[in-house]
Amino acid sequence: MRCVMPDTHFYRPNFYQYDDYDRTLVTERVEQFRDQVRRRLSGELTEEQFKPLRLTNGLYLQLHAYMLRIAIPYGTLSSRQLRKLADIARKYDRGYGHFTTRQNLQLNWIKLEEAPDALAALAEVDMHAMQTSGNVIRNVTADHFAGAAIDEIEDPRIWCEIVRQWSTLHPEFSFLPRKFKIAVTGSPNDRAAVRVHDIGLRLWRNEQGEVGFEVIVGGGLGRTPMIGKTLREFLPKDELLAYLEATLRVYNRYGRRDNLYKARIKILVHEVGAEKMREEVEAEYADIKGGALKLPAETIEAIARQFAPPALPHRPAVVGAVEALKLEDRDFALWLKSNVSPHRLAGYRIVTASLKPAGAPPGDASSVQMEGVADIADAYSQGEIRVSHEQNLVLPHVAVEDLPAVWLALGRLGFAEANVGKITDIIACPGLDYCALANARSIPVAQSISNHFAALARQHDIGDLKIKISGCINACGHHHVGHIGILGVDKNGVELYQISLGGDVDFGKTALGTILGPAVAADKVVEAVDALVATYLDARSAGERFVDTYRRIGAQPFKDRVYAVV
Amino acid sequence: MAKNLSGDLLVASANRLTDGVVVFLDDAGEWTKRLDRAAVARDKRAGEILLERAKAEAFTVVDPYLVAVSEGDDGVLEPLSLREKIRVSGLTFEAIAADAVRYA
Repeated sequence: MRCVMPDTHFYRPNFYQYDDYDRTLVTERVEQFRDQVRRRLSGELTEEQFKPLRLTNGLYLQLHAYMLRIAIPYGTLSSRQLRKLADIARKYDRGYGHFTTRQNLQLNWIKLEEAPDALAALAEVDMHAMQTSGNVIRNVTADHFAGAAIDEIEDPRIWCEIVRQWSTLHPEFSFLPRKFKIAVTGSPNDRAAVRVHDIGLRLWRNEQGEVGFEVIVGGGLGRTPMIGKTLREFLPKDELLAYLEATLRVYNRYGRRDNLYKARIKILVHEVGAEKMREEVEAEYADIKGGALKLPAETIEAIARQFAPPALPHRPAVVGAVEALKLEDRDFALWLKSNVSPHRLAGYRIVTASLKPAGAPPGDASSVQMEGVADIADAYSQGEIRVSHEQNLVLPHVAVEDLPAVWLALGRLGFAEANVGKITDIIACPGLDYCALANARSIPVAQSISNHFAALARQHDIGDLKIKISGCINACGHHHVGHIGILGVDKNGVELYQISLGGDVDFGKTALGTILGPAVAADKVVEAVDALVATYLDARSAGERFVDTYRRIGAQPFKDRVYAVV
Repeated sequence: MAKNLSGDLLVASANRLTDGVVVFLDDAGEWTKRLDRAAVARDKRAGEILLERAKAEAFTVVDPYLVAVSEGDDGVLEPLSLREKIRVSGLTFEAIAADAVRYA
C-alpha cells in the first residue's frame, strides 16, 4: 500500500491524489493501448486478439458505435475532472454522456481511432477506464453522500481507495470466473445498495465503540438476483484486505467457469451455502491474517488525510431569505423537500442535481450541463461533485444561504427538477437504443412515464416511489430492487415489459421484487404504472410509501387493477 | 404489401472497425452504410455464401453476421427485428444535444 504526499499541482484537501506510481501506470496504459489500436487498425491484430485488450480499457462495441465506460472511483469527481469529461464528450463523442448505476460515465459514440486520445485526455485529470469491463474487480462504488452525510460513521471512500489500490491490476484476480463488484457504505442508511453486490461492506460501530466492517457476500442482480449473506458480522478495519483477498481466493478457486450464467460469486454462495462459504473464507483468512495485507495504521491515516473533510467555514443554519423564498415559491419549497438532504454541519446541505428532467433520458448530461455543474460546484460546493448510483449528480457541501442561488443555477441547466426519490427519478439502463445485449428499449419507456407524471405536485403527493427499468435480464437498471421494477423482454420480435413490485435496497429491508403477472405491451406500460399508483393512493395509510402499502396489502389489488386496463 | 416476412431474405452486416458505424456488404464486396445497396441473399444457401464473403471481406469491419430483412413491393429493404431496425435508423428518441442547455 502506497502513501505519499500529494502533488501540490493537483492538490485538493479532500480528494485522493494520484502519486507518481498511479500516474505512470495510467499513462503507460494509454500508450500501450495506443499501440494496440494501431496494430488492430493495421490488421496486425485480429478482432479476437484485440477484443480483450479493448475491453480491459473499457471500450465496448455497441449497436451503433464504440462505447467508452469511464471509471469514476467511488463516484467522486472534482470540478476539474467533470470539466474534462465534458470536454472529452464534446471532442470525441457527441457532446453528452450517460451516468450509470455503477457511478461511471459512458460515452456512446467513440471512434476506435480516437479512443487512445480520449484516454490520454482522461489521464490528464488522473482518470482512466481500466477495470470497467472484464472478469476483474470493477470500480468500487460508495455512498454518494460520503464525507457529508449526517448519519455517517466514517467516510467509506477511504476504504474504497484502499480497495482500489489493492485491486488495480491485481495479478491473482485478473482472470476471475466473472466480474466482481464491491460497494461500501459508512452509514446505517444504506445508499450504496451493499446487499446486492458481490461484496458489500458496511461500516458500523460495535458495543465496544470500535468501527469495523460487516462483510456481505454473494449479493447481485442480473438473471439470478440474490441478496448477499453476512459472512462476517464485524471485521477489524485493518484486516479488510486480508479478508477480501481470502474471499476472492475462495471464489477464484471454486467459482464456476463452465457456465457464464453461473459464474458469479452469488451462485457459489447459493450452491455451497453461506456456512460452507464462511468456513472456506475463514480458513483462508486464518492463513494470511496479520500478514503482509494487514494495513499499517500510518497507511490508513495517510489515505484518510486525503479524504479529510473540507474546512467549511461556519454558515448560519437558518437563513431568513431561504425561509422567505420557501414560502413564496412552491417549486423551491418542493425542491428543498426532495433534492436537499441534511449535512453533518448544520449550516450546510447536500444538494442532488436531478438528471431526470421531465421526459429526458435518465442519467444523461450534455457537455454544457456538465460544465455548468462544475461551475456551480466551484462556486458553492468546494469544487466537489458526486455521481449517485441512481444516476444523479450530487453537490455535497452547499451552505444553507446559498441554496436559492444553487437552485436557480441548476434550474438554468434543467437539473433542478424537484423529483429526487419520486416517481420520475427513474433509473434506466441504455437499453436497446444503444446496448448490444438488450432485448428491449428502456429510455423511451422511462420518458413516457416521466412525461405522464411530470406534474411536481402530483409526484410529491405520490411520495417516494422508485421505478427501475432494465432492457434485459442483465439488470443494469436494477429492476429487481425497484419499488416498481420494469424488465423489457423480447417475445417473437415484440417488446414486452414485465412488471415486478416490492423490490427495495434500504438496509434491513432489502428485497427482490415479485413479478406481478404477464408482461404488458410497450404502449401499455404507462397505463399499468398509472393503475399501480391509483391502487396505492386508494389504499395507503397515513405516512405509507408505495412499497409499504404493497407490503401491507399484497400484490392482488395491484394486479387486479393493472390487468383490468392493459 | 411486403414480400417475405419469414426471414429468408438476408443481408450481411457488421460494424465498421474504425468507428463502429453500421455497414452492409454490397454486391461489389464493399462495405456501405446504405442498406438499400446491400447484397441480398434470397435463400438459406445464398445466405451462407454471403456470410462467407462477408467474413472474407472483414478487414475493415468487426464480426459480420446475417440480418433478416423484408423487401417491399418498391424494393425497399427493412430489417425484421427491432434491434436491426434501430441499428439502421438510429436512436428511437431524441438524444440531448451538446449545447441544448445553455448555462447562463
